[in-house]
Amino acid sequence: MRRRTLARGLAGFWWLTLVFLYLPLAVVVLFSFNSVNSAAHFADVSLRWYHQLLGNAQILSAFRNSLILAIVSSVIALVIGCLIGYGMYRHRHRRLGWLIVLIYLPIVLPDIVFGISEMAFFVQINRATGLLEPGLGTMIIAHVTFQIPFVALIVYSRFVGLDPTLFEAAKDLYASPFKRALHFLIPTLKPALISAFFLSFTLSIDDFVISFFTAGPESATLPIYIWGAIKKGVTPEINAIASLMIGAVLLAALVSLLFNRPRRR
Amino acid sequence: MSDSTPAVTRAAAETAAADGGAPPRAASSIRLEGLHKRFGRDTVALDGVDLTIEAGEFFTLLGPSGCGKTTLLRILAGLEEPNAGRLWIGGRDVTDTPPHRRSVNTVFQSYALFPHLSVRDNLAFGLRMRGESAAERERKVAEVAEFIQLGSLVERRVDQLSGGQKQRIALARALVCEPDVLLLDEPLSALDAGLRSQLQVELQRLQKRLGMTFVFVTHDQDEAMVMSDRIAVLDGGVIQQVGTPSEVYEHPANAFVARFMGHDNLVAITAVDGDRVETRLGWLRLAPAERRAESDGWLLIRPETLVLDDALPEGYNRLEGTVEERLYRGSRIEYRVTVNGQPLMVVASNLGQRMHEIGDRVVIGVCPEDLVRVAA
Repeated sequence: MRRRTLARGLAGFWWLTLVFLYLPLAVVVLFSFNSVNSAAHFADVSLRWYHQLLGNAQILSAFRNSLILAIVSSVIALVIGCLIGYGMYRHRHRRLGWLIVLIYLPIVLPDIVFGISEMAFFVQINRATGLLEPGLGTMIIAHVTFQIPFVALIVYSRFVGLDPTLFEAAKDLYASPFKRALHFLIPTLKPALISAFFLSFTLSIDDFVISFFTAGPESATLPIYIWGAIKKGVTPEINAIASLMIGAVLLAALVSLLFNRPRRR
Repeated sequence: MSDSTPAVTRAAAETAAADGGAPPRAASSIRLEGLHKRFGRDTVALDGVDLTIEAGEFFTLLGPSGCGKTTLLRILAGLEEPNAGRLWIGGRDVTDTPPHRRSVNTVFQSYALFPHLSVRDNLAFGLRMRGESAAERERKVAEVAEFIQLGSLVERRVDQLSGGQKQRIALARALVCEPDVLLLDEPLSALDAGLRSQLQVELQRLQKRLGMTFVFVTHDQDEAMVMSDRIAVLDGGVIQQVGTPSEVYEHPANAFVARFMGHDNLVAITAVDGDRVETRLGWLRLAPAERRAESDGWLLIRPETLVLDDALPEGYNRLEGTVEERLYRGSRIEYRVTVNGQPLMVVASNLGQRMHEIGDRVVIGVCPEDLVRVAA
């Protein structure tokens, strides 16, 4: 009997957790379809706020910035992270785990500290050389730095799960180093690469703090725009943007999970 | 062939050659000279290996784990570089040739089939990497599938194959490239006993049909004897003996080879007097061919050559002992007998004769011709 009470209690706790996680999101999505401008009273279903989004040049520009930032940084992080992951695998007997910890450390720092340091750093370089004007460029560099370790770890763990003689079989079957990359490494890694790309993508879309400190006047992303806009209060328009972002991130995370599932042996 | 041969006979001969004979390609010989391989600072895997493998030979590298046999195979494949020494395949020095430029293919112990490719694409991988056309690849894959009798396996995914099927695909993937030399790294060790002995026969038959040079690695002396034209026994990175299965089994070069080939009866020689040697079993007379002045080394007594009979033929050495243990194996009976405190294995074919009981006193006959002296 007592055990059943415990089980019920735990189940209740689980549902409570889910409620706190998803109900606020549901409310935002629901009110984004509200036909009247109210956060308390839901009148009727309408796409009014979504139409309004499309007419707002600032929002469209922020949306474009977010997308460019996420895609470009993810591609760059994919290439660099992939090379690091492969290097870690090739030299795994040398125990290079500390390398990844070294890259990882700045990310476990509070975002605000990392963001401020990046900003100060870019400003210094900009003052000295005229390069790295705050804008999308600096934001891309900052985003790539926190995406790399995730990519490297995904790629590394995929390699570790492979039979090491596959690498030798490729050599034995007349594949030159270039052909080995093209016909063995990349196809074998494809699921891991897709997963890593979408994970990087969501990390970039999600980020506010680091973007905020490294952005320039013209490069506001959606989170930065929202931050600026809610100073004037939460409008249904914000709800609409938020709903779109929820959709995009859930989708990307789902794709990432789907491709990073352990393969059947 | 002379012109007077009837055309029909000629055609029949050609058909026979095409069906069962070796394909018209020259097999390659292998020559190794002074190969040394170290791992790290003080692990010596190969300590000066000289070896010649003839073209078209089924050659086996036999030894316990850590003897250097796999390292030697990997050097042939180019997956490992020797620290010293040179290697020729088909008369060409390939010591510094990377694996993807060597006309050598390997059947790996783990099979190493690519999980991201279908069976068909696995089979075609080597041809594709070598830049052969799609039509050519298709023709050769179909040919090898027919040859190895893969049937519908070609359509499967790699993760749908059983161990035995993976083994055949791995073999076909290597054979389809028509290498100068085929290397096999314990390809049967993961299979169960029945399938294993079936594939031993198949592999040996296949090699004879192709006339290709096979280098086979195993730690199983029975497997080595069944399949090979010649065997090299390795220990401690050094070749202990090279010879045909019967040479290595019947005339082992030293005590290590004798024990590794499964011989139980190896007794130390303590003194020599003419054609007789002294051991813990007593004095035994040898055949003239085995006569040597040195009073060291071992005497090899093969259990299956011993005779359990009170009435011995003329010239036989006579030993007396007590039966300590009896193992009934159906086709044969194994007795462990002690002679002067020295254990001796005796194997008798089961021909329906009366079996000896434990504790029985028995007379053992040893033919001088069956005794072999083995160096220390």
